Amino acid sequence: MLASDGRDEDWVRCAQAGDRKAFSELVRRHQDHVYRYLLRMLGSHDDALELTQDAFVKAWQALPQWQPEAQFRTWLFRIANNAALDALRRRKLVEFVPLEDSFDAPSSEPDPEHQAQATQEVRQLEASLKKLRPEHREILLLREVEEMSYEEIGRVLSLSEGTVKSRLARARVALIEIHARSGP
Amino acid sequence: MSDAGKCPKTEALSALVDDELVGSVRHALDAHVAGCAICASLLAELRQLRTTFTALPDVAPGVDFASLVDRRIAAAAVVPKTEPKLRPQSWYWWPVAPAAFGGVLSLSVGAYLGSALMLGTQVAEQPAALQMAAFTAIPPGALCPGLQVCNATGR
Repeated sequence: MLASDGRDEDWVRCAQAGDRKAFSELVRRHQDHVYRYLLRMLGSHDDALELTQDAFVKAWQALPQWQPEAQFRTWLFRIANNAALDALRRRKLVEFVPLEDSFDAPSSEPDPEHQAQATQEVRQLEASLKKLRPEHREILLLREVEEMSYEEIGRVLSLSEGTVKSRLARARVALIEIHARSGP
Repeated sequence: MSDAGKCPKTEALSALVDDELVGSVRHALDAHVAGCAICASLLAELRQLRTTFTALPDVAPGVDFASLVDRRIAAAAVVPKTEPKLRPQSWYWWPVAPAAFGGVLSLSVGAYLGSALMLGTQVAEQPAALQMAAFTAIPPGALCPGLQVCNATGR
């Protein structure tokens, strides 16, 4: 039996052999990150809940293709990101159509006092993020929220590090411009 | 002092915010920003953006996906998809060999029958030409109505 603090890769090998409990451990480790990413990509709690499950089921099905050289986390995010883009295409929201004004997601700190303390800048940032094109939103979320390196982002989005660098800069400038247009 | 003509690309400033630049490249950029109001302003905006991102409230699903996913996998009896193994080349070809042979045979028989039919048509056409030659405007016996008639009668 593996230690609960063991490496992802060890758990993946067990899961590849058909061990569903090992896969459940991987799900628990990554579920919050995948859900958070999908929520900010899609802007809907219900869609994020559904797609998070779908992403993990797809990951289970695709386990035989997983290679030890790949980080499980970036491999999983690649599956989740593809699911998010497919969902956006289906909803015809890929281009130009902004997401809802506010997420209907439960917060980990839902008390009204905390929400009242949320700064105006954070609220503006959330609103501006939803107006970004998906290709800009995805790269910013991976960098700023998931704190991935350029190399990891490249693996998730199938981009070279040079492209990650330039697209990230364009995404930031686009976000600043949207933020400036929306005003204080 | 600002020299916009020599300003670095935005992606360099963005990479600087991410601490992705090292060594002489980083030193040169730091030195430029220190003397360029335009780049200093943009760099400040990019850094402010990063700071604001860190203040984004965390969101949690409040759901245990592990049990939900496990139930779906069990209910659908979903098993990891394995790559289909390639079959040996000979195994791939022999099942289609009878069909290919049959096709070739059909074409050959069709071609043979078609050519025999064409030959028969040519044979049948010759007496008809001879018969029609008797009804031409030239009276019989005046002039030879056609070379075929002469040949047919042996004259």
